[in-house]
Amino acid sequence: MGIRFEHVSYTYDARSPMRQTALQDVNIRLAEGALTGIAGSSGSGKSTLLQLLNGILLPTEGTVKVLDLRLSAGEKPPKLAPLRRRVGLVFQFPEQQLFARTLEEDLSFGPLNFGASPEEAAHSARKALAAMGLGESLLRRHPLQLSGGQRRKAAIASVLAMGPDILVLDEPGATLDQVSRSELIQLLHRLCREEGKTVIIVTHRIDELLPYADRWVIMHEGRAAFQGTVRELVDTAGKLPDYGLAVPEPIRWWRELEAAYGLQAEEPCLSPAALAERIAQLVQTDARKEQAYA
Amino acid sequence: MKARKAGRQQERAAPEDQGAAPVPAEKETWAQHAEEAADMVAWDNVSFAYDGQHADIDGVSLTIRKGEWVTLAGANGCGKSTLSRLMNGLLRASSGCISIGGIRLEAGTLGAIRQKIGMVFQNPDNQFIGATVEEDMAFGLEGLCLDTEEIRERITRYAGRLGIGQLLRRHPQELSGGQKQRAALAAILAMEPELIILDEASSMLDEKARSEMLELLREMHGETRYTLLSITHDAEEIFASQRVLVMDRGRVVADVAPDMLFRNGELLRLCRMEPPFRLQLARELEQRGVMTADGVTGAMLNPVVEEMRKWAFGSSM
Repeated sequence: MGIRFEHVSYTYDARSPMRQTALQDVNIRLAEGALTGIAGSSGSGKSTLLQLLNGILLPTEGTVKVLDLRLSAGEKPPKLAPLRRRVGLVFQFPEQQLFARTLEEDLSFGPLNFGASPEEAAHSARKALAAMGLGESLLRRHPLQLSGGQRRKAAIASVLAMGPDILVLDEPGATLDQVSRSELIQLLHRLCREEGKTVIIVTHRIDELLPYADRWVIMHEGRAAFQGTVRELVDTAGKLPDYGLAVPEPIRWWRELEAAYGLQAEEPCLSPAALAERIAQLVQTDARKEQAYA
Repeated sequence: MKARKAGRQQERAAPEDQGAAPVPAEKETWAQHAEEAADMVAWDNVSFAYDGQHADIDGVSLTIRKGEWVTLAGANGCGKSTLSRLMNGLLRASSGCISIGGIRLEAGTLGAIRQKIGMVFQNPDNQFIGATVEEDMAFGLEGLCLDTEEIRERITRYAGRLGIGQLLRRHPQELSGGQKQRAALAAILAMEPELIILDEASSMLDEKARSEMLELLREMHGETRYTLLSITHDAEEIFASQRVLVMDRGRVVADVAPDMLFRNGELLRLCRMEPPFRLQLARELEQRGVMTADGVTGAMLNPVVEEMRKWAFGSSM
């Protein structure tokens, strides 16, 4: 099933002179159970794309298929509650999602609303909080008594607590410290691998997600300029600057190595450890060759 | 009429006459002020607690000199933003003393101090008030009671400076993230503050906009009239600054040069930071005994690998 966008366009204020087309004829497929990274410069349509995933926005043209539901332009949308239970969306400023008087109330709100018993809701709340590395002592606090980073983690926890099948996050790591950012990515990666969740992450930091993402979508001026595997992304990385993106350092160096040693058929090594390991092998081979000549 | 005018002149002249008389006590104060004025920010044993009991800022003393660019680093929740909000009196310290540009922060000087400080936050949407970028810039300037001509002139000058001259008539919501952040910064700069606090100001920007903003900060720093305080986790922004103050649980626990931070595992752990890719690669290569900062162990290196070695082990960003 997964997610499919078929000829999807979206225009804000379509009937006013202020109309602004954010997406234009987008055709993408996001595989179920995979971790997909979405990148693109500001204003390329990433956030609009995400809001089409659980019916917050409905396409002005084309069809969005999510799980077994269809959202088509001009058609009456199906009941959205089941979709929203199964697609958890974390917005760009997730702290704006918090509204209750205590963090505990906030975290239980979703599960309770979708029919969980108070005990189940409390359990999911605690589990999600622990997954985000926050202590239970924060449960009694008002969301505004948390720091910016803690609030962001709490907001992500409130979505995790609902146990959605598809997790969609818009720039979840911005303003988190780096260790929290990589812990979050590892947590999402685990949810994807071990629990079969579909994870979609919009990011400005392609390099951080490179070792984890199965597939990438690059948005540019409202269109999907690229979609494919990490290998395909590495092959087309030269075009990234045309889309207003810098070539990530791991990709830049891997491409140089590839060209120097003819490694085009290999799976790219993009984490510092993997890249160093591969270089160590190459340097050793060079050394052996040198000795053989001598 | 003439008599009244003369009278007023006399009135105005009077304080100058008094000021000309040497008063040692006053002279001392001025000398002290002049000395202090080289420090843009001076904190002496400042504490603050949101709940009145558990210190969120715990006896912090620090100084930032005029024209300096300082980074405030630390894990989420360690008190970085609280510290920045104490600077301009958004929060009131429960004890200790804060001076900004030689003026002690207290109820009577709050206005004067706020004029010296400009703050840029991570989400520029929260800072826009006007219906157009121009109105937004004008708002702050009107608050300073400048005349219309001066307001117009400053808007044109600073919008041009930040490359948003053509966006002045646009609604802030029509701008991209990078443009919004530049508009927010233009509105702040137009008020000509001396100290600019950037609280995660580049964290929501894409890479291109982030490097543009960094370039702009470098330029501003080069002009020496701004003192910059960055609160950030961004390695490049940290590298661009001169000093890093590391915070942990409400205290400033280290005051180091940026490259020292990235080479000190313990401090990095405290800040919950990871070294940039380049330094991580260098460490991994070194651990495998492939190469070191000085050169290579064993064979001649392929030119690409040699280039990578120089990049990874180089000392600047």
